[in-house]
Amino acid sequence: MSQDQRQAWFARVVESGLQNQIFNPSDVLAHATPDVLASHLPPELLSKVLQASLAAGSMTPERVLETVTPDVLARHVPHDVLWACIAAAAHRAGVVAR
Amino acid sequence: VNIKAFFVDALASALDLGVARPDDVLRHVTPDVLAQHLPRPLWARVISACLNAPRVDAKLLVDTIGIANLAEHIPSTIIWACIAEVGARSLGKQPAVAVAKQPDVPVAAAPQPANRPAPQPLRVAPQPLGRSTPQPLTPPPPEVLTAVPRATPVPIPAGAPAIPAPLAAIAGELETAVPAQAPSRSRTPTGQRNASIGGVGRIGATARRPQAAATPAPTRRARSATDTTETETASEIAVDDSQLVDWSAAETISTGDDDFSDLGRKR
Repeated sequence: MSQDQRQAWFARVVESGLQNQIFNPSDVLAHATPDVLASHLPPELLSKVLQASLAAGSMTPERVLETVTPDVLARHVPHDVLWACIAAAAHRAGVVAR
Repeated sequence: VNIKAFFVDALASALDLGVARPDDVLRHVTPDVLAQHLPRPLWARVISACLNAPRVDAKLLVDTIGIANLAEHIPSTIIWACIAEVGARSLGKQPAVAVAKQPDVPVAAAPQPANRPAPQPLRVAPQPLGRSTPQPLTPPPPEVLTAVPRATPVPIPAGAPAIPAPLAAIAGELETAVPAQAPSRSRTPTGQRNASIGGVGRIGATARRPQAAATPAPTRRARSATDTTETETASEIAVDDSQLVDWSAAETISTGDDDFSDLGRKR
C-alpha cells in the first residue's frame, strides 16, 4: 500500500463521512484542532483559510473545510487524527461491536 | 446519517485504491455471514458466478455481490470491523477491532474454526459391477445320504410283556392308522441339504424311533382309608415282634366300629 493510496482512501472516507453526515465539520475540527492545523498545514493554506474567513466575515468549521478539503486534510493532517475522527463517528453511530 | 453509504464509499475506495483487498472483506463477511444475511436472489447470482468462473476467490465474491449489497444486507458492525481493520493497518497499527461477532448467528451456523480440517469426502473403493469378492464357501453336503441305515420300528413280538390297557389301546391305534408310512418315506434332495446345513433338520430327518413302552404313571385318586392302609403295610418298617398285633384276635374284640374317617386327620 503506497502512501498515495492510503492518502486517497482517507480523503475518500472523510469526504463520505461528511456527505453522509456520519460526522460533521465540527467533529473534524474537534480532532483536527487549530493546533493540529497550524502545525501541519502549509503556510499558503493557512493564509487561504484566513482570507476566506475574512471575506465571509466569520470562520466556521464549515467554512474551514471549504478550504481545507478532505483531500487537503488527508494530504497534510496525520492520518491517525483523521482516523480518530472516523472511529469516533462510528462509535456514535453504534456500529462498533462491543 | 447514511451509514451504509459511508460504508460503501469507505470500502469501495479502499478496494479501488488497493488499501484493502477482497480477502480483507471476506475475513469479516464470512460465508456463514453471507448465508445468514444475504438474500436468496443474491445467493443465486453468487452461485451462478462461481459456477461459471474458472476460479472462485474472494475477489469474485466481492465483485459479484457488490459493496453496495454488502453494506445493505450485512450487519453494520461487521462492515465497520472490516473498515476498522483496514484503517488500523493503514496506520501501521494492530487492528483495534477484531472480527466482529455476529450478534444473531445461530449455533448451528457459527463460523467454523480455521484450524478444523476440512471434511474429507467418503471414498468407497469402486467395485466392478456384477462381480463380487469371492467368499469361501462351505463344502456341500454329501450327495447320498440314503445309504445311512435307518432304524425301522420292530414289530412287537407276541410274547412281549403286556402293555397296560390304556397304552396298549393307543399303540394299537397308531399302528393301524399309519402302519408303515413313516419308515418308508424317502428324503428329497432338498430335504437332505437343508438337514445338513441347519443341523436342526437332522434331528427331524432321522427315523423316528419307536416310543419305548413307558410304565404307566400311577393315576392319582382321592385317598381313602384303604389306600392309606395299603401304603402303610407296603412300607418296610422294622417292627419288633412285641409290637405286632394279632389281628384275628383284634377283630374278635372289635365291636365292629370300623370308622376310620378321622384317621387322616389324626395323621
